[in-house]
Amino acid sequence: MSVGDLAKPTLLASVTVKKEFMIDHLSRRALLKGTLATSSGGVVMNWGDLFHGPASLAAESAPTKKRCILLWMNGGASQFETFDMKPGARTGGTFRPINTNVAGAQICELMPKIAQQMDKLAVIRSMRTSEVDHPGGIYLMHTGYRPTANVRFPEFGAIIAKYNGREGTNLPNFIKVFSQADAGAGFLGPKFQPFAIGPEGSLPPFSSSSQSPEVESRRHQLRTFLEETYAKEHRAETSKMHREAYEASRRLQEVRKVFDIDAEWEKHSELYGNSVFGRRCLLARRLIEEGVTFVEVSQSSYDSHADNAVWHKALVPPMEHAWAGLLVDLQQRGLLDSTLVVWMGEIGRTPNINNRAGRDHYVRSWSTALAGGGIKGGQVYGESDATGVDVKDNPVTEGDFFATIYSALGIDPKKENFAGVRPIPLAPFGSKVVSELLTS
Amino acid sequence: MAVAFLGSDRRIAAGDRDGRLLIWELPEPTDIPPIEQQTKSVGVAPVPKLSLVGHTNGISRLAITPDGKTLISASFDKTIRFWDVAASPSGFTEVVVDHELRDAEARRAGKKVSPDDKDGPGIKIETIGSTHTLEGHRDWIDAMSLSTDGRRLLTGDQSSLVIAWDVAARKELSRWNGSLWNWIVATALTGDGETAVVSEYRYKRDDFDIPCPALKRFNVADGAEQLDLLKVQFPKLDPKQNTYGSAQMWRKFIANGLVALDISPDGKLVAAVQGGETDNGQVHLLEMETGKLVRTISGHQSGATDVKFTADGKFVISAGRDTVIRICQVEDGKEVAQLGKPRGGQFKDWTSSIALSPDQRTLAATDIGGWVHVWTFG
Repeated sequence: MSVGDLAKPTLLASVTVKKEFMIDHLSRRALLKGTLATSSGGVVMNWGDLFHGPASLAAESAPTKKRCILLWMNGGASQFETFDMKPGARTGGTFRPINTNVAGAQICELMPKIAQQMDKLAVIRSMRTSEVDHPGGIYLMHTGYRPTANVRFPEFGAIIAKYNGREGTNLPNFIKVFSQADAGAGFLGPKFQPFAIGPEGSLPPFSSSSQSPEVESRRHQLRTFLEETYAKEHRAETSKMHREAYEASRRLQEVRKVFDIDAEWEKHSELYGNSVFGRRCLLARRLIEEGVTFVEVSQSSYDSHADNAVWHKALVPPMEHAWAGLLVDLQQRGLLDSTLVVWMGEIGRTPNINNRAGRDHYVRSWSTALAGGGIKGGQVYGESDATGVDVKDNPVTEGDFFATIYSALGIDPKKENFAGVRPIPLAPFGSKVVSELLTS
Repeated sequence: MAVAFLGSDRRIAAGDRDGRLLIWELPEPTDIPPIEQQTKSVGVAPVPKLSLVGHTNGISRLAITPDGKTLISASFDKTIRFWDVAASPSGFTEVVVDHELRDAEARRAGKKVSPDDKDGPGIKIETIGSTHTLEGHRDWIDAMSLSTDGRRLLTGDQSSLVIAWDVAARKELSRWNGSLWNWIVATALTGDGETAVVSEYRYKRDDFDIPCPALKRFNVADGAEQLDLLKVQFPKLDPKQNTYGSAQMWRKFIANGLVALDISPDGKLVAAVQGGETDNGQVHLLEMETGKLVRTISGHQSGATDVKFTADGKFVISAGRDTVIRICQVEDGKEVAQLGKPRGGQFKDWTSSIALSPDQRTLAATDIGGWVHVWTFG
């Protein structure tokens, strides 16, 4: 059976469970759904996926499959305390700008280590997005779409896992370390659902067996026998998902050591900085090195409605130390060119400092940064006005941002997936790729 | 923002977050317009007479030597500066001190305020420069205290470095470090400058990376630790723990840092106030000798910011984010007076520091909106 065969609906009715099981690089869930739908003659969810998803995956995938690390600043880091300083302006705040290793580009004094990695970064100072509060902003900046009642949009981690992920691996393609986003795989289905790890970066308790290997092996054989026997007579999707979940969990046992970073941490704590976020970033590098396609690493607590300066003074230094260490580490291992590192939160912060010494939510003009795979580093794109109130040049919407990310990763942002019969492009209609940020 | 009286109850200095340091000569109480007029009209409030030029970042603390002649300022620019407040002016500068009133006037007139309207023209005043600058700190200096005899100065920065200075010699006496990730947020010296209490705190680095604060007593001459006052409250406290769980042990006592300290004139008590944005910024009174909590008094909605004992040791005065200054009896913790009114809790410019005049009859307080408020007792 070839991939192209799957585009012919007449073949679907003849696909057996056994054969299907052997096609390990396709969405078995979608295939099974399609089979059932065909036999019932109705139109079902993911019908389009049968034609536009798995059937053309090989053609849609880029020749070089890049990976991605998302450094998520939960709560919304301030652009004025990171990448868009306004020294002398009444909106400027307490911190001072410092020079970077790129002539003419200055960033906040809180980021001296990132300043020395500026040649790897493309900073966007002209983000203008459309969701000003946290839940909407987190959804928007993980999916590229505003929340709606009708469509469950997938996070871009799920999309990248779909198009650039590997099949049959022991590690999931989409891993989140202490993430606050919950959109998950959306209409892409459970196959691309993220595997979530807690704030300390350790595997969840349910991921390991409490039995001895011998007992566990016998239990597995018994379970497999029972489930296969059951599956011959019951083609229920939940049963299949249950088997797949067990299989994924068992495969994970083979690579558990990648999550145990203690030994390597001793050698790298200086590079990443001695912080929990630094440990998360080291874990992200290890996962990428092991072939994971998308890793999200989050740092919490940027929602500084009060005491904005001290909050950022506490949060930014460990973050930027870890981030700079990650970039250096990826480069030294030859992984940076194939790994896109995205830095962002869900919102920016207000130009005015309120009378709680804080900054509130702001999306009219704020900053993000990209580095690594597919990105032309050493540049600042876009500009805000003198007080940071508005974008002066080259506004970048959420759609433009995600279109650019997909392009950097070799994925066509106009590709469509289907929510029912509705085609949904990866980046919203009308989004523009910011080609100036890309190497090609 | 910080404020200090300069040897009399009619002369005060105040510094702001931009590094401006100004001196006012206050008119006699009988010549001051009613407070309602001062806060509602441009140009009625007293204007500054002198600008002290030198700092390049926010002023965090001010102190005046007992003779009233030398002002000492600590700054986020990592320096400590000494100023001869009786020095002959060396130049002129133009300052704007009524941004807020200009905004209000413009709004009443229905016109949009441009930055130019706000920032100029100002008033022309004389300037002086500092006489000495102490360097050695590596980060923002957020804590400074001067012994009552004026011999010793203690400063602490956000790299967790504490430095004790010999004021007369303008030289470092000793230095020590707090815990690795902490900031030195408050210090206090006994009257003779021999003993110090230092408060360490740092806002969290992540929800699951929360450095443990500290409150310790030191011998100033050599920086030797004498007593861990926080450990007295929580014997099981492990300062190396940075987990969310360990923070629950001390959070209720510390809130978002014990951000201001003062030692009673008899040296027996230390007052420590709960700072940061917290529900109830209380004042802890602890025994200097044992670290035992004597009582917790008062409470500022949304956190406290500063604390001072009166010279007779009978009262403790605290300022807070609720824009109220509370005066409480040390003996029983009873609140005997409030200065100011709550201006809307956390949504108005909070009071950031207080100072008492040498004769204890006048109190000055700064707020983060840039105002200096002055009260006279009796």
